[in-house]
Amino acid sequence: MIKDLVSALDYSLFAQVALGLFVATFVVIFYGAFRLSSQATSRFASIPLSDDVEDPRGE
Amino acid sequence: MSTVTDSLSPDAPRSTATDNSIEHFSYDDQIVRMFVTATIIWGLVATTVGLIAATLLVLPWLTDLLPYFSFGRLRPVHTNAAIFAFAGNGIFAAVYYSTQRLCKARMWSDALSRIHFWGWQAIIVAAAITLPLGLTQGREYAELEWPIDLFIAVIWLFVFGGNFLMTLINRRERHMYVALWFYIATIVTVAVLHVFNNLVVPAGWFKGYSVYAGVQDAFMQWWYGHNAVAFFLTTPFLGLMYYFLPKAAQRPVFSYRLSIIHFWSLVFIYIWAGPHHLHYTALPEWANTLGMLFSLMLWMPSWGGMINGLLTLRGAWHKVAADPVLKFFVVGITFYGMATFEGPMLSIKSINALSHYTDWTIAHVHAGALGWNGFMIFGMLYWMMPRIFQTSKMWSPKLVSLHFWTGTLGILLYIIPIYAAGLMQGLMWRAMDETGHLSYPDFIETIQAVVPLWWIRVGGGALYVSGVVMLCINALMTWMARPATYEVPVHSAPRLSANYQDDEKPRTSPLTDVPMLEVGKKIDSIGAMGWHRRWERLPVKFTVLTTLAVVVATLFELVPTFLIRSNVPTIATVTPYTPLELAGRHIFVSEGCYNCHSQMIRPIVSETKRYGEYSKPGEFIYDRPFQWGSRRIGPDLAREGGKQSSFWHWTHFENPSLVSPGSVMPSYQHLLEDDLKFDAIAPHVEAAAFLGAPYSEEDLKNTEAVARRQAEEIAAQVVQQGGPAAMHEKQAMALIAFLQRVGTDLFRTEEPAAGAEPVAGDADAAVTDAAVTDGAVTDAAVTDGGEAAAGEEADAPTADDDAAEGGNDQADAAEGDESA
Repeated sequence: MIKDLVSALDYSLFAQVALGLFVATFVVIFYGAFRLSSQATSRFASIPLSDDVEDPRGE
Repeated sequence: MSTVTDSLSPDAPRSTATDNSIEHFSYDDQIVRMFVTATIIWGLVATTVGLIAATLLVLPWLTDLLPYFSFGRLRPVHTNAAIFAFAGNGIFAAVYYSTQRLCKARMWSDALSRIHFWGWQAIIVAAAITLPLGLTQGREYAELEWPIDLFIAVIWLFVFGGNFLMTLINRRERHMYVALWFYIATIVTVAVLHVFNNLVVPAGWFKGYSVYAGVQDAFMQWWYGHNAVAFFLTTPFLGLMYYFLPKAAQRPVFSYRLSIIHFWSLVFIYIWAGPHHLHYTALPEWANTLGMLFSLMLWMPSWGGMINGLLTLRGAWHKVAADPVLKFFVVGITFYGMATFEGPMLSIKSINALSHYTDWTIAHVHAGALGWNGFMIFGMLYWMMPRIFQTSKMWSPKLVSLHFWTGTLGILLYIIPIYAAGLMQGLMWRAMDETGHLSYPDFIETIQAVVPLWWIRVGGGALYVSGVVMLCINALMTWMARPATYEVPVHSAPRLSANYQDDEKPRTSPLTDVPMLEVGKKIDSIGAMGWHRRWERLPVKFTVLTTLAVVVATLFELVPTFLIRSNVPTIATVTPYTPLELAGRHIFVSEGCYNCHSQMIRPIVSETKRYGEYSKPGEFIYDRPFQWGSRRIGPDLAREGGKQSSFWHWTHFENPSLVSPGSVMPSYQHLLEDDLKFDAIAPHVEAAAFLGAPYSEEDLKNTEAVARRQAEEIAAQVVQQGGPAAMHEKQAMALIAFLQRVGTDLFRTEEPAAGAEPVAGDADAAVTDAAVTDGAVTDAAVTDGGEAAAGEEADAPTADDDAAEGGNDQADAAEGDESA
């Protein structure tokens, strides 16, 4: 079963698929990160400075 | 003392009556003090051993009567002490201090914290004892033998990792700050790397043989080795940076968005880049190219992190001028930027052709280790010590400043001459005269040219060590000024409710009423990153996803490397080492010869001219561990077999300068005096046979007798050539047997032994290439792109070039501008 599966794999595409996978992930993270609200990010960024329990929520 | 009444806030999430009961807790700073102390002590040890190792390169005779402390054995002591003892304890100090405060929770188990501390120190002491004794796997940064490796896995993953994860689960701060993400990535990835790189078959309590051989072992080792740099010397230090830099500057991190991009990019990219350590070697070219590509991409997130660190100080640069802690951080982050620019640059094949095996790599590593890791730890320690020892300040702020300037000067005095040495070596090795011959055919010339620069390195190292001594004095005096009893502030906070309801108002998309494709609205919704916000509150899910990112990336390289048959073409004349040769190889590994001698000739004209036919992947199928090396303080040994007489080798071990005037190799007199334990060879042969090496019944049943016969033959050769008599019992005989065998199989023309089964690849994939069995190809064939591949299936070319084939193109590329 596993042998059949492995032998059916087309290894020659691994490198290209890997690159595509990374680019897709990177684009999603990059796009998403810059959609975060300033209010949320500034609150998260300040966590180490605060001695109080913070529970960031709404933006 | 802080009392938190977050639950009374009008903005607080609604929770059940049982959830919002106030809890009181204190932080465990004793464990932080313990790790801080260990960091300082091991920092002094690691840098001192490094200084001794640097001195041994210019004064090799210092260890003539001290074989346990020769450069080959001491260098792994230095690297392990620097990475796992100094940096390791520094990481733990940072994690234990910051995690408790970021989670608003004491570490889950004090007992596990103590077991972690003492277990880790025991591991370090075990390394300090076993490595000088020559008990080593012979794989860089993974030298420790299997019993210690097992202990590391337990302490790291279950004790440290378990305690950390349970602390996250029991935290009182809803949001996991970015530093914690980096700690999570560190813990899970180091565990994966350590376990899978150190899978061995034991050959006794103090020796294990890797389940991987040759090319695959090299791939696994540098997948591990590069990512040890990534996930032991980078990600935890970034976590440290993201916590301690804002604390020291009293400013929030410059861009939280950038930290998200930084984190995921690093985790996803770093894991692929290992093959860049193996350019132009027998590793398949596709793997090298992929490694290079991802290494280049790595530059972006690395610099994103550096920029994020430096810009955190926006508006606070006046503090940097006055605060030595911030000075340490600024210089440390700057070195991070330098090292992470240079790393991708060195991964470019044409640059790597020049830099690899030279001191350039050493300078690069030390810019990162001394500048980034060292200075970030020093900055953290100086910030932390007055707080954990509860003194108002360090004993001597002036001494902190002096440490900073001394250390900075020490780093510069170390790396600048070594960069110069690396460039000199690379250029001298490839220099050709107008007749097409090597300008410096004698390897010793290229070493003697850089010895003065090595002396300057000793001066730089001494300065850096003196800075660490200042740290020790300052820490000791600060500790002595501590109060009789430490205050233990009690904090109060409500538990986090198990059923958290984000009170964030449902986000109405501005695209709701816009006439557009639904997929566009979906992308907009995904882009809002609500899903990531949820991950940041779910430690187990975050851990699983991080592990998944690392494992998936690994599999993309690992699966083809292990399963494509053409990756390791079989060479019919390559056979296992004889029992005596195997014992000799074991000595080669134990003495740490790989620290100075590579065994990998790249398909580059200057290398084939200097050393002989370039290395083929199929030559290494019985090499456990692979011994390709990463630095040439001495010449490459891949074609050493038959180059010199056995008596020459004997004399060389006795006094290298007698046969190689100017050599920086120490004497290995003890190999000429100590008897070989012939009865201890059998387990090595059995382990090799278990792993697939086709040994004969005679080799397996009468191992000792077979080994003795070969030793007597070599001893007779030594006598014939003018050497001493009756030396067949000595260890040197085994090492000579191994060295006389290295690299010779490729040129043997006899038929393989009946019944010999190739190990790498299926038997039906075995192809014997005429170019291989007929002997060496000429240099011209290499430079002209002549086919010299071992075992490429001519009728089935694939995209997965085997290394030998790729080598021709690589040789052209690497040597493209030699004529200039």
